[in-house]
Amino acid sequence: MAIVRWEPARELAGMEIDRLNRMFSEFYGDPFSRGWVPAVDVYETDEHEVVLKAELPEMRREDIHLTFENGVLTLKGERKFEEETKRENFQRMERRYGSFSRSFTLPNTVDASRISAAYKDGVLTIRLPQREEAKPKQIAVNVE
Amino acid sequence: MMATNPWDLMRELSSMHERMNRLWGGVHDRSHEDVTNRGGWQPPVDICEAEGQVVLKADLPGLNRQDIELSVEQNTLTIKGHRRPDDQVREEQYHRIERAYGPFSRSFTLPNTIDSGGVRADYRNGVLTVTLPVRQDARPRQIQVEAND
Repeated sequence: MAIVRWEPARELAGMEIDRLNRMFSEFYGDPFSRGWVPAVDVYETDEHEVVLKAELPEMRREDIHLTFENGVLTLKGERKFEEETKRENFQRMERRYGSFSRSFTLPNTVDASRISAAYKDGVLTIRLPQREEAKPKQIAVNVE
Repeated sequence: MMATNPWDLMRELSSMHERMNRLWGGVHDRSHEDVTNRGGWQPPVDICEAEGQVVLKADLPGLNRQDIELSVEQNTLTIKGHRRPDDQVREEQYHRIERAYGPFSRSFTLPNTIDSGGVRADYRNGVLTVTLPVRQDARPRQIQVEAND
């Protein structure tokens, strides 16, 4: 029977890491093993246009897919890992890779034919104008 | 996951610590609804060493180039910056704010074999890429093993 030196510190640390990894894998797991959720801001302009801005750094346009169906805007994509860089060369890997998908329910007054999207500095800006008849009308109050 | 040697173990532990910090930081930030004063945030960073250079990439989508500040002092690389909210949009117009705004600062200790004079930085598609060449005399050399037979 081989005699193995007991290293309690290593065992403990190993257990701790294992436990923490499982606990936090939902938030910060392996950069490859799970999807990610790009941060999104949504606001409405004075012209009643809904604007959605999503953080999608270093992505190719062909890897970003946008659909609008029954009032639901779906943003899907995949951030691909550069294959020429070997994983073992990384000293630190905090950025997320892999696929993502997010959906947003929008008012049914959005004019689907006029939706536009532009990608600049790693941010995708989607503009969703509303149909003319959906814009609020000023109603004059008559004083008799 | 069990680390194989003590050095890896320490690296694991310190990266765990880092991740937890980022996690708590993120939760904390989300609780603030003030766009202009969200406290510090931390852009995610990858560091890769290959072919005689260290490459650092930081996700910084939607920043102005003039709001990114990079400095190398001794063997510490510091990235500072500020993401400014769109001044055309008033706070009450927002339905959802998930992006982090305000200042950030991160520092990294470089191996002292970096040729600090040859550091290059480039901002493209929302990513800051910093290339740090390893000094010529510090690059690994292949050493021939001679055999006498």
